[in-house]
Amino acid sequence: MGSTGRSIVVAALLGCALGMSARRGAGAPPPDAARAATDHERLFVRRIAPLLAAKCAACHGADPSAVDPAAVEGGLSLTNRESALRGGDSGTAAIVPGDAAAGTLLRAVRRDDPGVSAMPPKAADRLSDEEIVWLREWIVAGAVWPDADRVAAIRARHADEWTEEDGVTIATSGGLSPAWDARRYDPAGLWAYRPVLKPAVPATSPRAVPATSPRAVPATSPRAVSATSPRAVSATSPRAVSATHPIDAFLEARLPAGLIPAPPADRRTLVRRVTFDLTGLPPTPAEMEAFLADERDDDAAFATVVERLLASPHHGERMAQHWLDVTRYADSGGFANDYERGNAWRYRDYVVRSFNDDKPYDRFVREQIAGDELGPGDPEKLIATGFLRMGPWELTGMEVEKIARQRFLDDVVNSVGETFLAHPLQCARCHDHKFDPVPTRDYYAIQAVFATTQLAEPAAPFLPTENTAGFGERAALERAREEHIATLARLDAVLLDNAARWFTEHGKDPTRWHGAVAMARRRQEEASRAGKRRRPYADVFAEARRQLLDGGEPEEDFPPKLVGFTPEQFGLERVARKGLERLAFALERYEPWALAVYTGRTREYKTILTPLRVPEDRMTKGEIEATAILVGGDPFAPAHAVKPGVLSVLGGVAPNPIPDGIEGRRRAFAEWVASPSNPLTSRAIVNRVWMWHFGTPLAGNPNNFGVTGKRPTHPELLDWLAASFVEQGWSVKALHRQILGSAAYRRAALHPDPRAVRALDPLGTGYAVFHPRRLSAEELRDAMLMATGELNPAVGGIPNRPEINAEVALQPRQVMGTFAAAWVPNPRPEERHRRSLYALKLRGLGDPAMEVFNTPTPDFSCERRDTTIVTPQVFTLFNGRASHARAVALAARVLRETGLADRADERAIDRCFFLVYGRPASPDERTACLAHWRELEIEQAGITPGRVRPPPVVRREAVEENTGETFSFTETLHAGADFVPDLEPADCDARTRALADVCLVLFNTAEFTYVD
Amino acid sequence: MTSLLAAEERAPSPPSPVRGARAKNVIFLMMEGGPSHIDTFDPKPALERLHLQEFFRDGKTKSAMETGKRYYVRSPFRFVRAGLSGADMAENWSHLATVADDICFFRGCSVDSVNHPTALFQMNCGNRFGGDPAIGAWVTYGLGSENHDLPGFVVLPEVSYPQGGAANWGHGYLPARFQGTPLRPRGSPLLDLAPPDHVTATMQRKNLALLATLDAAHAAVHPGQDDLAARMSAYELAFRMQMEVPGVLDLSQETARTKELYGVGDPATDSFGRKCLLARRLVEQGVRFVQLYHGSWDSHDSIQRAHGTLVRAVDRPIAALLDDLKRRGLLESTLVVWCGEFGRTPDNGVRGGTAYGRDHNPNAMTIWLAGGGCNAGHTIGATDELGMTAVEGKAHVRDFHVTLLHLLGLDDNTLTFYHAGRFKQLSQFGGTVIDDLIA
Repeated sequence: MGSTGRSIVVAALLGCALGMSARRGAGAPPPDAARAATDHERLFVRRIAPLLAAKCAACHGADPSAVDPAAVEGGLSLTNRESALRGGDSGTAAIVPGDAAAGTLLRAVRRDDPGVSAMPPKAADRLSDEEIVWLREWIVAGAVWPDADRVAAIRARHADEWTEEDGVTIATSGGLSPAWDARRYDPAGLWAYRPVLKPAVPATSPRAVPATSPRAVPATSPRAVSATSPRAVSATSPRAVSATHPIDAFLEARLPAGLIPAPPADRRTLVRRVTFDLTGLPPTPAEMEAFLADERDDDAAFATVVERLLASPHHGERMAQHWLDVTRYADSGGFANDYERGNAWRYRDYVVRSFNDDKPYDRFVREQIAGDELGPGDPEKLIATGFLRMGPWELTGMEVEKIARQRFLDDVVNSVGETFLAHPLQCARCHDHKFDPVPTRDYYAIQAVFATTQLAEPAAPFLPTENTAGFGERAALERAREEHIATLARLDAVLLDNAARWFTEHGKDPTRWHGAVAMARRRQEEASRAGKRRRPYADVFAEARRQLLDGGEPEEDFPPKLVGFTPEQFGLERVARKGLERLAFALERYEPWALAVYTGRTREYKTILTPLRVPEDRMTKGEIEATAILVGGDPFAPAHAVKPGVLSVLGGVAPNPIPDGIEGRRRAFAEWVASPSNPLTSRAIVNRVWMWHFGTPLAGNPNNFGVTGKRPTHPELLDWLAASFVEQGWSVKALHRQILGSAAYRRAALHPDPRAVRALDPLGTGYAVFHPRRLSAEELRDAMLMATGELNPAVGGIPNRPEINAEVALQPRQVMGTFAAAWVPNPRPEERHRRSLYALKLRGLGDPAMEVFNTPTPDFSCERRDTTIVTPQVFTLFNGRASHARAVALAARVLRETGLADRADERAIDRCFFLVYGRPASPDERTACLAHWRELEIEQAGITPGRVRPPPVVRREAVEENTGETFSFTETLHAGADFVPDLEPADCDARTRALADVCLVLFNTAEFTYVD
Repeated sequence: MTSLLAAEERAPSPPSPVRGARAKNVIFLMMEGGPSHIDTFDPKPALERLHLQEFFRDGKTKSAMETGKRYYVRSPFRFVRAGLSGADMAENWSHLATVADDICFFRGCSVDSVNHPTALFQMNCGNRFGGDPAIGAWVTYGLGSENHDLPGFVVLPEVSYPQGGAANWGHGYLPARFQGTPLRPRGSPLLDLAPPDHVTATMQRKNLALLATLDAAHAAVHPGQDDLAARMSAYELAFRMQMEVPGVLDLSQETARTKELYGVGDPATDSFGRKCLLARRLVEQGVRFVQLYHGSWDSHDSIQRAHGTLVRAVDRPIAALLDDLKRRGLLESTLVVWCGEFGRTPDNGVRGGTAYGRDHNPNAMTIWLAGGGCNAGHTIGATDELGMTAVEGKAHVRDFHVTLLHLLGLDDNTLTFYHAGRFKQLSQFGGTVIDDLIA
């Protein structure tokens, strides 16, 4: 198909959203439009003007879409011929018509003249050689610069002809400049905006597509070896074309010529792969054996395994882990206070439930965007809107309220774009999008959808499906609360004593002070009796000062605030006062509130220091935000008003307008996002699910289907999956079945001819072989707990606190005005050994053992995890206490299970291998491990390991802000009372400890940490 | 598209630095909390006559902290002119005054945020909201590391981490190896550098040997998987670091005289003195970027007492560091930076009565540089007569970042990394080198 044909097809597919040379407000052509354009006029209109707009205008243009219209760098404006000829502050002309060598412009863009700054400044933005040639040709020919009307006329006249070569224009709600509206796009980059049309499954060649896996694996050989054995390949038989799975047909159509796919993985490998994949856990030895012993054919046996795993409650946990990476889940709000979000866990569990129940994805989308509006009074739907609260946010007295509100709006717009539409929107916050057909108008139209969305922790009764176990732990927080109150009472008494001394020292008359103190005391007692205390603690001293200040008493006549405090007391006062504030957020956890939103007017808050409820007068008090395009993204620079809307590039998709009253905006927007005709939504989720299974997405940036995102390697397959997904009622489990049923998923990770793979498929996108992956941080920890038998499989509930590196746990951490509480592990092992998904996730205190294995920061959406190899991983996995604890636990478990039977040692090593790798040891491995065990037993015999207990209190030292001096205070770790340690080396004999060394090594091997 | 992909593949090897740059290493002294320029290096005699004069400020563009009844506060510190260059210094910087001529003061900088974590993120990472690579990560990415047994970017935090925590020295979207490694002031310098106490070196070696055997067998049947080799060498490097790092950190190898110079042993200066001395040792070992934290300088209520103690804690150690670097011929190649995340206001809010402190001020601050080819002996830029806002030599923090990179031979416009659809850079959108800061 020629380029003309392609452009036309694209235009047709995008329907009304895309028209050639579509521009708003193009008036009647001026009289001289009929005059034919010269070659160089055409060169200017077609090449030079767009080039100047794209590469220079941000700093040298009066283009209103520029970051700051007032800024003209170096005094040089490139908006018209006169100023370009005049040049900037340097006094040298940017362009000398007819003389390419003379002006600064060409020298700047060629970047080879030390006397002229290279332009554009950022090397990555440099002009292409072709662009430089155009510029040179234009200057040499006299730098013709037609006026705006003539430019418009020439553009209109040549639009069709240029479209053929330069790409298409796209109609949107309109950019801030005609130049942006006239911008041309390579049609290939617009793939994601096109409707999803289900492509026909390609016919496949009848060549060998191995259909059966080698089941007869010698029991003692590592599974890795078996898959490469020639016998395994020759044992397969070609399969008829008709039986080819559609996914395989699409993949085969793009398989590099000459590349033969790897044979199927053996059953042992496959069950380990799919179990980690669907549940994040390894198969148990019994599950492994059952699959190996299944006499049915591979397809039937495998399908049974897949169904079992999809039905497992752990499946939802695994999917939630993926989803929460995208939505940035954390149990705290980040920034200065990093207050806990006590009820974030309910959103986390909502996600787990949704995947376990196979909630149709369109509903899942709608609930997260607008659950409160869709089902008023339904706690489940309210909890779903926790999604909108996932970004870091707070409002302190040190931030301008309007800016903080704007931060929320910007966060939520971009988050909705990335999460559901695979389209980051923040680039259109300050200007029309530089690459995508997203005008800044659209950005603010979507923002207007959220302009009546308010943050709160509304009431949401606990559901029978929610796990509300373990609420008893709040007693520890209550104890801390009582302690803070007692400290403040004690310090209040100190201040009153100090005040008395102050009057003596300063020789002032204390009469009025005594009166104020008596009055303050009386008032606080009365308020106490009436249950209307302003604060839960005594502050007679402060109250007395307030009275005198308010009464106009001269300040020098009564003691200053916090009079006579020692640095220690200054510190203690803050720690207790702010500590109470912080506890209020943590105590939310055990109460039926939801981290959610409501619809209403925007109220004024100076600071937010306590959880907020839904106000009775939500519809009447406060302002209705009038959303406008903000110049440079500045909330104090509103320009054009906008109405709630959607991405206009998908013009054909919006069935219903978004209302602009207070209510219903999000509900209507959610309908648009989750519409079957929205091509971004279905493509985005099937692309993610594909990546969750294969490690590689079809479209390389799951959060960015825009022009700068990587294009799909298999666009037809992506569309086929998206269309099938919608056909199957947006069922994510049906999508899993479809993908897992392909031969591609079941391929061996080892290719008989790795060199051919490397040569023919250097980017590894051919799916001729399954790519091994390293276990995620969570899988590593969970798999170790599973091997030792310590894993607590309970699903859902309040976050737990496993033991993390002890130094980090007690590491003092500054938060606003005080120090965050220490990390105190749960007292009982079964509470600590829950799945990693449930570990309390504080933005300000990451578990280093998780972070080192690439858990993403919750501040940004993570579309795909990195897998890096860095040395601190070794320290964590080889030296860390957690690894040693798991090794001891595994050794003890194995010795308990194998007992003193015949050949007990051999059996123990085999059992270790089974539990860690899912296979027995090979004879060589068994020999090496037995020898190691014996050697280490001799070493261990001379050692008496100590015991380590978390301290009951921690002494903190910090620099006190009022004095600059060091002060210290004691934090009692209430939650750590009754701590029951895990099995420790000190509990074990030398034989067990030596076997633990073998186990530690196994946990550190590549075979354990990778899944083939 | 092809070019984007190609550039992405290319990105991990950044362009080679410009020749002729003098600075090769950085010691970055981060005075977290926001030191007051008005009470350290930027005297404001006009505040004498305004002292305790009240006024009222309001407005939707202001935070709660900035609004309401306010009053001016004069500096409780006397100022002197130090060195041949006559640099302005509060007189309690008595040690730093002896090296005043090695310092280039900069009064023109401003940041965008008025609160700690956001301003600190911006000073460290260029972006107010965190998550981007820290400047130390960029520098290590640009220049590499000269010691492969030590991390290239080391952080010496306070016992208590600053607001925002470890994201202040994160690698952001750069590869993880450029992350700042905190060497902890107490306990194990690197987390889990040593195995639990009951594990002897012999056991450790034997365990490593068994691991190598099992992994080698696994790698042999996984010929296509390159990361297995990298993984095996990480175990070897870890073992070397386990042996080497404690030696580097061991200050007992320094003479008593040196330790005394840095104030090690004196309770008032011991903590920061140790950090400064360690910073010098790390730079000698080829560590590229060392960031030292001190704080908190957030003196809202009592400038005299709080800043007095803080200056005392750092004055002698910093002066000793500059002097020591110079004597060892390292100052020329080591850029020393002193700053906070912002400066402080000439006025204070009435919070339950008068207190002679100051609030946060993103519009005026003092930053200083020493060594590394900076314009030593000069004071660049100026704030208005009250110290409220920079008026001369004004520059956004992004320009300051670009200048630091420039001093190291790095060009912010080429030191970019392709991420999430665009080439990102420390300055976010580009900046201008502040020529006056360069010798």
